[in-house]
Amino acid sequence: MEEGDFMKHQTRNLFPFAAVLGQEQMKLSLVLNAIHPGIGGVLIRGEKGTAKSTAARALSELLPRMENAVGESISAPFIDLPLSATEDQVIGSMDMEQAIVYGRAVLQPGILARVHCGILYIDEVNLLDDHLVDSILDVASTGINVIEREGLSSSHLSEFVLVGTMNPEEGDLRPQLLDRFGLCVDISGEKDPLVRKALLLSRELFDADTSGFRRRFDDGTALLRRQIGKAKELLAEVRIPSHLIQFIAEICNRNHVAGHRADLVIERAACAHAAWKERLEVSVEDITLVAPMALLHRMRNADAPDMPPPPPQPENREDDQKEAEESPETDDRQPPPPPESGEEESSSGQDAENSADNQEDERELPLPPPPSESIEEVHAVGDSFKVKRFRKDDLKHVRSGSGRRSRTRSMTRQGRYIKSSHRVVNNDLAIDATLRAAAPYQKSRHELQGDAQAIYIIKADQRGKIRERRVGSFMLFVVDASGSMGAQKRMQETKGAVMSLLLDAYQKRDKVAMISFRGRESSLLLPPTNSVDMAAKLLEEMPVGGRTPLPHALAETERLLERVLRKEPAVIPMAFIITDGRANAGLDSGKPPHEEALLMARRLGALFPQVHFIVIDTEPQNLIKLGLSRKIAEALGAEYLQTDDLKAEDLVAISKQQA
Amino acid sequence: MKKVTFPFTAIVGQEQMKQALILNVINPGLSGVLIRGEKGTAKSTAVRALAEILPEIEVVDGCPYQSDPHKADSLSPYCRELLEKGENLKSHFRKITVTELPISATEDRVVGTLDLEHALKHGKKKVEPGILAAANRGILYVDEVNLLDDHVVDVLLDSAAMGVNTIEREGISFSHQARFTLVGTMNPEEGELRPQLLDRFGLCVTIEGLRDPKQRIEVIQRRMAFEADPEAYVISCRKDSEALTERIRKAIELLPSVNVGDEMLDDIVHRSLNAGVDGHRSDIIILKTAKTLAAWRGRIQVESVDIDSAADLALPHRMRRKPFQEINA
Repeated sequence: MEEGDFMKHQTRNLFPFAAVLGQEQMKLSLVLNAIHPGIGGVLIRGEKGTAKSTAARALSELLPRMENAVGESISAPFIDLPLSATEDQVIGSMDMEQAIVYGRAVLQPGILARVHCGILYIDEVNLLDDHLVDSILDVASTGINVIEREGLSSSHLSEFVLVGTMNPEEGDLRPQLLDRFGLCVDISGEKDPLVRKALLLSRELFDADTSGFRRRFDDGTALLRRQIGKAKELLAEVRIPSHLIQFIAEICNRNHVAGHRADLVIERAACAHAAWKERLEVSVEDITLVAPMALLHRMRNADAPDMPPPPPQPENREDDQKEAEESPETDDRQPPPPPESGEEESSSGQDAENSADNQEDERELPLPPPPSESIEEVHAVGDSFKVKRFRKDDLKHVRSGSGRRSRTRSMTRQGRYIKSSHRVVNNDLAIDATLRAAAPYQKSRHELQGDAQAIYIIKADQRGKIRERRVGSFMLFVVDASGSMGAQKRMQETKGAVMSLLLDAYQKRDKVAMISFRGRESSLLLPPTNSVDMAAKLLEEMPVGGRTPLPHALAETERLLERVLRKEPAVIPMAFIITDGRANAGLDSGKPPHEEALLMARRLGALFPQVHFIVIDTEPQNLIKLGLSRKIAEALGAEYLQTDDLKAEDLVAISKQQA
Repeated sequence: MKKVTFPFTAIVGQEQMKQALILNVINPGLSGVLIRGEKGTAKSTAVRALAEILPEIEVVDGCPYQSDPHKADSLSPYCRELLEKGENLKSHFRKITVTELPISATEDRVVGTLDLEHALKHGKKKVEPGILAAANRGILYVDEVNLLDDHVVDVLLDSAAMGVNTIEREGISFSHQARFTLVGTMNPEEGELRPQLLDRFGLCVTIEGLRDPKQRIEVIQRRMAFEADPEAYVISCRKDSEALTERIRKAIELLPSVNVGDEMLDDIVHRSLNAGVDGHRSDIIILKTAKTLAAWRGRIQVESVDIDSAADLALPHRMRRKPFQEINA
């Protein structure tokens, strides 16, 4: 009740949707979802500060009003899901007050009930706990929320538009979660100075006089709401010709998307777009306009989707080309033009500029370093890429630490409270769950024991909190910096690979340490630290040259792992040993260096069975292979990879694997 | 007993840091400042000392969310309950507070949680407000902000974005205004901040230890004088403190009438574009900072020098950097 009031007050402070400049694709995707919730929501990916949240929140004002159970006209619900939400609040749980006062088990509806027919907005959706995202997406796709908890058994309709925003710098969504979002748009900041200035001005005006600014856009907001309402009515009558259904299938086929969700989403979005343009038949443009939004997050690579030529028209109709040319002029249904004139042209010009920018980025490959015979040199960092997942999330282990590589049940009182259980650990009582457990018995206990206490709680009612936190791993990099690595861009590639692993480590909040070896010995370049930045800096400056003292490096690894594990026995370290395996400087034990290395490797593997060793072979593929790294890997009991194997498998393979 | 803090005006040097803090006091819309620097460079001292020179705000008596009695839109549930009962809101003036968020804070303490005592006594749900409630309309200070637990950072981002804290936990569904100026200090040697959190800080200053031997001696002398007799030392600085408070008060009054010329806006936009920043927040922050600076300097017209200083404060941490590239001041 209080919450509803407050949110009503909040809408008075919303930046009007009609006043959001540029970002046409994002606005269109939101509008299409408002017209047809069956599209399955939209995921907005973009840098910080690009009006993602502003536009998503503003959409709440555009939903047509609806009737409640008693026939009153109310505005559609808009619920902003906080990251700290607990499972029982989302799904629904027993109403404690009702239970205590009346001794009845009554369901207190959760967010999924309240959001029925409205918008569920998740800011920073990639930071939300996976289990919550799972349950929400499940309901979003079925439209029904089934509650089976605390002795309650119930289900209710829950149809809503799911809008998520995320900044990809903070880590990705799992592919199968990505697929559940109907549409996806990538946005970036405006590059056109004029648009930027207009944006800056309107923001300044909004901050200076919020209600006055909003009043200026009242008409625009009302118009949009009416247009969406009308499109919603039209939607039922929109038809899609059969040759265009084939066209959609062809698009999906060409772009190798997994599953059939993309086909359905394109069809629905195209219908919604036709209705938005007040047409009763879907046209080719409707499809080509919405298809990229449905394909973006479902394709293997980030290239622009490959569009098949439009199908021939079965009847004598206007030429496609002509229609396409005309559409911008007849287009009075775009989200309204911004107040300043000349805006539209500049924003479309900006799009083109944007894509040109991207292409330029891709072309900017590092130049191969000039061949050099000098003893010590520093190689640039090669291209980085997205690295594959190394381990499945492991929930069973209880660990301490902070990070986000693996989710884990937390034994300390730190971490996010996700749900309750019968076990109480560390006196971490889940008060709400305990009270709910005790509630139904209050009437009888009062009858038995009198009214001395307001609530009687016995031991059996106690519930503990299950907390979850993501735990970072510890990643040790043992990098071969010997002269043999200097040849043929190998160090550059290796640095690129390590940098990619570091990027991954940053997103998952891992601790890192780095050992490098060259000449006669190895050195601990970076003791264990959270500062992945430091590691990256050291990597960049790492010189190459000299012999390959692999046995030294393995001895150093042993010392370090021992120290780390003594301090934090629960950590499961990953040790990347990056080398071509051509050991030629030893520990002076009388054995050849290579044998020493094998001995050390065997010893390491036996000493630390809990450590995940990964040997990355940098021996070039085209030359005669000695296969020394593979032998080291075998001795260690390590995973053996070549640089290329590190790259993340494509989306299709991952989703198949996890389906 | 009240703990005596080292006076803000007695801090030697570190002008940019002091200016960034003062600007945030004048205009809370700047959304905070991040102070990066080595250990022992008066980072925390400056933030804690800020409390003494903060202006006063009007708050509703007994409201745990520091509601402004004159803003009907943002009244807390507590105040609205009083109004519904037909009571009048009584209010009083008091200084803006600095609320400290310890890095060990748990999520429920930050966002608020179910009031256990109330639930047990009365069998009814009541919210126990958290740190975000206490920080509303004030300053939220996080020392060693880069060491803050990840999920606490998440909830901070969540409420900083809209200025609203929404609680959906333990059977409570509740939201209240949570507009705060986020002040963080960090030592970059211990790891960087996540980009998303970095962007939430309006301004960023990087500070170093003083290099000038004279200034270093001055630091030692002042510190010794303070430690010998803190109260006497604070009294000896009172005149300076009062002058500063007065100047801040005047700047706050002046701020709404500050104008900015069209060519200045062009300048701001081009600076952002040339710096290659992500998103648009830098434009907005530079403009606000420049206006605030003009007010602080006693002018009602923004000049180029204001934009220069504002860009120095607002751009460095927003530059599109390659992953792991260093933040240059």
